[in-house]
Amino acid sequence: MDTLLDIRDLDVAFRTYGYRAHVLKNVSLSIPEGGRVALIGETGSGKSVTAKSILGTLPGNAHVEGGSILFEGRDVLQLAEAERDRMKGTAFSVIMQDPLSSFNPVFRIGRHLDDVMRFADMRLGERSSPAERQKRIYEVLRKVQLSDPERVFSAYPAQLSGGMRQRVLIALALLHQPKLLIADEPGTALDVTTQDEIMKLINRLVAENGLSLLMITHNLGVVRQMADDIYVMRHGEIVEHGPLRQLFTSPREAYTRELVDAIPPLYGPKVVDQPAVEGETIIALEGVSKTFSERRLIGRGSEHVAVKDVDLAIRKGEIFGLAGESGSGKTTVARMIMGLIAPSAGAITVDGATMAGTGRSDAFRHLTQIVYQNPGTSLNPKRTVGQTLSVPLTFAGLERARFDARIAELLRHVDLPAHYVSKYPHELSGGQKQRVAIARALAANPKIIVLDEPTSALDVSVQKNVIALLQRLRDELGLTYLFISHDLSLMRNFCSRIAVMLRGELVEEGEPKAVFAEPAHAYTRALIAAVPVMGDEEEQMKPSVSAEERKRFLVDAVA
Amino acid sequence: MHTNLLDVMLRRLLGFAGVMLVLSLMIFVLARVVPGDPARIALGPSATQEQVDAMRLEMGLDDPVLIQFVNYVGGALRGDFGRSLISGKPVATEILELLPATLELVLVTVFLMIVISVPLGVVTARYRNSWIDNTGRFFSIIGVTMPSFLFAILLQLAAANFFPGWPILGRIDYTLTVPQGPTGLLLIDSIAHGRFDVFVSALQHLAFPALALAMAGIGQVTRITRSAMIEHQRRDHVLTLKSFGVPDRVIIFRYLLKLSSIAPLTIMGLEFASLIGNAFVVELVFSWGGFASYGLEAILQKDLNAVMAVVLVSGFFFIVANLIIDVVLLMIDPRLRFKEAR
Repeated sequence: MDTLLDIRDLDVAFRTYGYRAHVLKNVSLSIPEGGRVALIGETGSGKSVTAKSILGTLPGNAHVEGGSILFEGRDVLQLAEAERDRMKGTAFSVIMQDPLSSFNPVFRIGRHLDDVMRFADMRLGERSSPAERQKRIYEVLRKVQLSDPERVFSAYPAQLSGGMRQRVLIALALLHQPKLLIADEPGTALDVTTQDEIMKLINRLVAENGLSLLMITHNLGVVRQMADDIYVMRHGEIVEHGPLRQLFTSPREAYTRELVDAIPPLYGPKVVDQPAVEGETIIALEGVSKTFSERRLIGRGSEHVAVKDVDLAIRKGEIFGLAGESGSGKTTVARMIMGLIAPSAGAITVDGATMAGTGRSDAFRHLTQIVYQNPGTSLNPKRTVGQTLSVPLTFAGLERARFDARIAELLRHVDLPAHYVSKYPHELSGGQKQRVAIARALAANPKIIVLDEPTSALDVSVQKNVIALLQRLRDELGLTYLFISHDLSLMRNFCSRIAVMLRGELVEEGEPKAVFAEPAHAYTRALIAAVPVMGDEEEQMKPSVSAEERKRFLVDAVA
Repeated sequence: MHTNLLDVMLRRLLGFAGVMLVLSLMIFVLARVVPGDPARIALGPSATQEQVDAMRLEMGLDDPVLIQFVNYVGGALRGDFGRSLISGKPVATEILELLPATLELVLVTVFLMIVISVPLGVVTARYRNSWIDNTGRFFSIIGVTMPSFLFAILLQLAAANFFPGWPILGRIDYTLTVPQGPTGLLLIDSIAHGRFDVFVSALQHLAFPALALAMAGIGQVTRITRSAMIEHQRRDHVLTLKSFGVPDRVIIFRYLLKLSSIAPLTIMGLEFASLIGNAFVVELVFSWGGFASYGLEAILQKDLNAVMAVVLVSGFFFIVANLIIDVVLLMIDPRLRFKEAR
């Protein structure tokens, strides 16, 4: 096989205000023609910078200090700018990561597609009429399984679902039949089932069109389906590379092993079963529904049923997992338990007290606290750790004089050094920020903590530590967790009981062991089947989903 | 989707009516609270107490305040704001006569604001932190901070020094016969009547007052446009287009400009309020003789009926301007149109 892309000893540094950050150090990577290569690494490892170096979209303060990028034997770094621009979208193109932010919200989808095609045509010296381009675009849209290209073409980004927008991003990359496709974490922002569909689509397109693929990801489960060769990157260096099987089964470097081990298994001997918890019920939901309605001055308003007739009993000391995709109503349930919104029907009892509307007494409010998904946005960047922690302490009615002692105690709980009290969020890593968020939730001495995807913004190795911390805190402080997530492999190992929600209804409930061994509801099967796993044995143990069932739950695939 | 659009507009219109009602209540109460008997002001210090009492009766000043207010609003809805306490003529007639002059000035000012500040904002954002950006920012800060009357005077001085023949007072050359109707806006009327000389003269007269009035807005809108452009430049959707080699000029002038016009448009609606306020002094400096100088006169002479009418008319135009901007925003930003579809 000939080499299509060959990166040799690439050195890239960022310079800002005289400060130099060396982000790529001697990076070498090669992609054979028709080959699928994955570049994996955690946040800040330099994998996206590598992609941008190939594409030529590095920011202005980045400098290529050495090395070469050979594409079909020509060094793209030596090419004139016009020459290089001509390769964009035609020799290689990129599938952007985030379908939600990769389109300009005030322009139609078709406008984006047409402009990309028009200027690429112009650079290739081809003349094309708008009507002819539209025809070609429709064809590509059909190729990415968007069955109604007319509607997609004339829609605004906000009118399409995340999965559809991700498909359009793929179409954007395929407008001119490039040789190399660079996929930058495609589908990570989507639900598992949609992500699964997207991966299968990319795989099929790569195979059918004989493309080469450079897959950039932090998700090792995805890698197994999508790549033949793997490069592992850390701190701007390639730590290890080799064929997929070898890397997964017998990694040479400790770091690679750490990455592989940090993935929670879905099936097999490594799975951890959390002991079932017997005890009194601390949270009880009886026939709880929530309808959001919008009133109009004229005509009929619209109603949206977010939660439909949910019965739930969570026992003291449990780690109760609530799974479901976006829009399934799991966050609404959590917010009702916290007393942030009132249910439209049904009764909620928390720790023996029945919730009566949102205007509750302070004592009630201390019962339940929350840890949000993204510590980067849930912490105020202008407040130090100490200031952040004193807010809930003030409302918990603690005397000022005892603040310092209590804050030190909280930091000890989450394994942060005492002097972190004066640090600002930007001085902390993602994992440390999440620890601060956990400490903040603990400040008011709650009995229940809602964990809203607490680790999905973190790297896998960090996720492992945060999960261990949460487990320890539950044992030490006798907490009950309501764990909201769509990461089923994590839930399998972390929760003592799980429930699955679909379109506002509870469709499955039970202990993880039983649910994963024999999922009762077809949707649960579809969810589990979509989870990317590490090994073939695990793949075999997943429940099977019939095509008809798939169609029923994956409404997204049909445009 | 359409019902939603209609619904949004209907809500705005209801809000409009509510704001006007509250505004008229506030100004009415204020006018009744300030010391000084309107009847006495109308008749002057030499009138006898009997004459004043008769006048009070005629003006309805002895009725309960609520009745007075209802009568006033009822009149205002029919375009009757009472008579001027000073001239004795209907306030509505006086205002209608002077309104076109101010309207013309304001429209030209808004036009200047857009054509100067939007390109300036784009250029300063494109060449961020260069000398172009620094110069642009320097002048926008001056525009924001310097009071417009000072600007007006400086412009007059500059005109007198550097363009001696340039008119700096009034709306039009006195030697010209001004065509009447149909709009009262000289720029439009002159063209309607084919009078090119009037058009040129009116434009010359407009240049400096409009510039003085526009300066504050130009500074503000330039800054907002610049920061919106910079903000959006970093977004993923720009990177998408760049990755596929869409040229910079297309990204800037098509994709970024439309998205970045949302914030400055909103600000312009708010700027409109200070624009009306500044018009009071700028008109005075340039002897413009419009609605705003009428308002100033009314305040100084305590012509309460005229003051009330001026406030209500100013408020009316402020709200209309913001309604127009709301409609433009609805056209620009599809997300406002189908919010609930998501």
